[in-house]
Amino acid sequence: MAIAIDRRSLEPWQDPKAQPYVRIERVTKKFGDVYAVDDVSLSIFQGEFFSLLGSSGCGKTTLLRILAGLEYPSSGRIFIDGADVTDLPPYNRPVNMMFQSYALFPHMTVEQNVEFGLKQERMPRRERAERVAEMLDLLKIGELRRRRPDQLSGGQRQRVALARSLAKHPKLLLLDEPLGALDKRLRENTQFELVNLQERIGTTFITVTHDQEEAMTMSTRLAVMDAGQIVQVDTPTGIYEYPNCRFVARFIGSVNLFEGKVVERDGDEVLVETPLGRPMRMRCPQPLALGSPVTVAVRPEKVRLCAAFREEAVNQIRGLVEDIAYLGDVSIYHVRVSPGQIVEMTLANIQPRTEQALTWGQEVAMEWSPTSGVVLAD
Amino acid sequence: MRRQRWSLYTVLAFGYAFLYLPVLLLIVYSFNESRLVTVWSGFSLKWYGELLHNRQLLDAAWLSIRIAATNATFAVVLGTLAANALVRHGRFRGRTGFELLLTAPLVMPDVIIGLSLLLLFVALQQSVGWPGGRGFTTITVAHITFSLAYVAVVVRARLAQIDRSLEEAAMDLGAHPLTVYLRITLPLIAPALLSGWLLAFTLSLDDLVIASFVSGPGATTLPMVVYSSVRMGVSPQINALATIIVVFVAVAVAIAALTTRGLGSTRTGRRPTRD
Repeated sequence: MAIAIDRRSLEPWQDPKAQPYVRIERVTKKFGDVYAVDDVSLSIFQGEFFSLLGSSGCGKTTLLRILAGLEYPSSGRIFIDGADVTDLPPYNRPVNMMFQSYALFPHMTVEQNVEFGLKQERMPRRERAERVAEMLDLLKIGELRRRRPDQLSGGQRQRVALARSLAKHPKLLLLDEPLGALDKRLRENTQFELVNLQERIGTTFITVTHDQEEAMTMSTRLAVMDAGQIVQVDTPTGIYEYPNCRFVARFIGSVNLFEGKVVERDGDEVLVETPLGRPMRMRCPQPLALGSPVTVAVRPEKVRLCAAFREEAVNQIRGLVEDIAYLGDVSIYHVRVSPGQIVEMTLANIQPRTEQALTWGQEVAMEWSPTSGVVLAD
Repeated sequence: MRRQRWSLYTVLAFGYAFLYLPVLLLIVYSFNESRLVTVWSGFSLKWYGELLHNRQLLDAAWLSIRIAATNATFAVVLGTLAANALVRHGRFRGRTGFELLLTAPLVMPDVIIGLSLLLLFVALQQSVGWPGGRGFTTITVAHITFSLAYVAVVVRARLAQIDRSLEEAAMDLGAHPLTVYLRITLPLIAPALLSGWLLAFTLSLDDLVIASFVSGPGATTLPMVVYSSVRMGVSPQINALATIIVVFVAVAVAIAALTTRGLGSTRTGRRPTRD
């Protein structure tokens, strides 16, 4: 019981009684004839680190700007903490945004940048100074207080932008590609820092990113967007392990897709017949009519070498190694199983590479278990 | 290689000589003792002294400076408003026409501007009784009409460079649109406002043709005095006056350049260091 309560407070979206903190209700935004955001509904809970993930032009930034009040939706409503903010201008919203370009005011020092928002709400001077000091401290940029933005490095600017957007203690912080302008190494470190910071201050974060790895590492939940619509909303694990369509499966990580049709149901498993000849037995809780066309999706790391290959067994397949990509910790093998299909298999390099048996042109047998993939209805 | 560099310097020297030798000559001869402008007879400051007692010339200079300053101030305000409309208000109705009409004075011959404004002023005076006479007001109004086009061009370029997200960020942090304009936009376009002001000031100080059309008796600007006195024969006093103006303008331009550089570095300054 105690565990159940704990889980509910950590995952409020599992709790039917939980009140969403941010509610997006059927929001549509048209630019001329183009639907940038197309009938999107979302509920985000207090303290979440929520990511909007999608390729460029999918409408994720427009949705973020609608939340900030920088764009107004063509239809639909936005609620934050129970209040309808749809028609509020940006300067009256309890929301702050960190811009992709950081948008630091070039004619002000770091300190003045952080102080700007506090001055707008006419906070007394004493309190203001304390808050600025608190923010500079929180992001460890105290020694930069007198510098101007052009005297800062990319990483430092990012911190100043974050300090400025957090200074007013917003109910909701929006981050547009928060790590997009940083180089790779710095980005990885900053990911963890950002998550730690968010956990410490407890503010609800909504970020926009096109980097799936970033979204996976940082978010409590994420929404995958395509062409202005939300395709799937789930935890990183849910999105990765149980994608609900081919688009999501392919967008996050790599995946092997086998087209086929359902020929038999056996409890919560189905038997799928594919052109590759051998049937596949996969777990499939959702009801699917016999004969309906489906796609079986299996992640490369779920594919393993098969010790005992039998002609009549399910979920086994044979092919020739065509390509090997050695990445150090793992190797990726491209195995041709039919003229039109390659199966990707990732194996941990337990042995040094020189002692590995697999080589180009070699015949290998592979298998996977019925629970290590999903069946996607077409 | 060496030879090429030498020839480049020669070309450069000729270029500078072509532009500045006449001015230099003018300055040198302002210290000439002789009454004849082209004959050097010894160093003297006497023409500066005589200049100080030439009421006509000093009055004209003072009038010109007042006109130039008033003109520049109005032109900056109006030109900035026009630039804002063009850059910030998207494709409003009649935008193309507005843009065309705004920039037309840049290519319109001075004679046409001057003549048409004169006709306008006369017609206005006959129908509504304003302007009462031609002088300071009419010249200033005439100068504003063409200076604001120059200001608009300068400010518009700067405004277009400014990252929109700076203004959005300010709004997001709780600043009302007016505060955003005063605290963010204006400081960022300040260098353009300053150079626009100086440009309008110089254009006005410089103008002979338009001023001749729209001025009346008793309102004579400096260029008009200089021009008419040259027809009588050049007095070295003009050289002295010109020298003062050259120094004045050089100092103003230097100040403008320095302040612009200081403010400009906020955008294009030195590259950030990597951490």
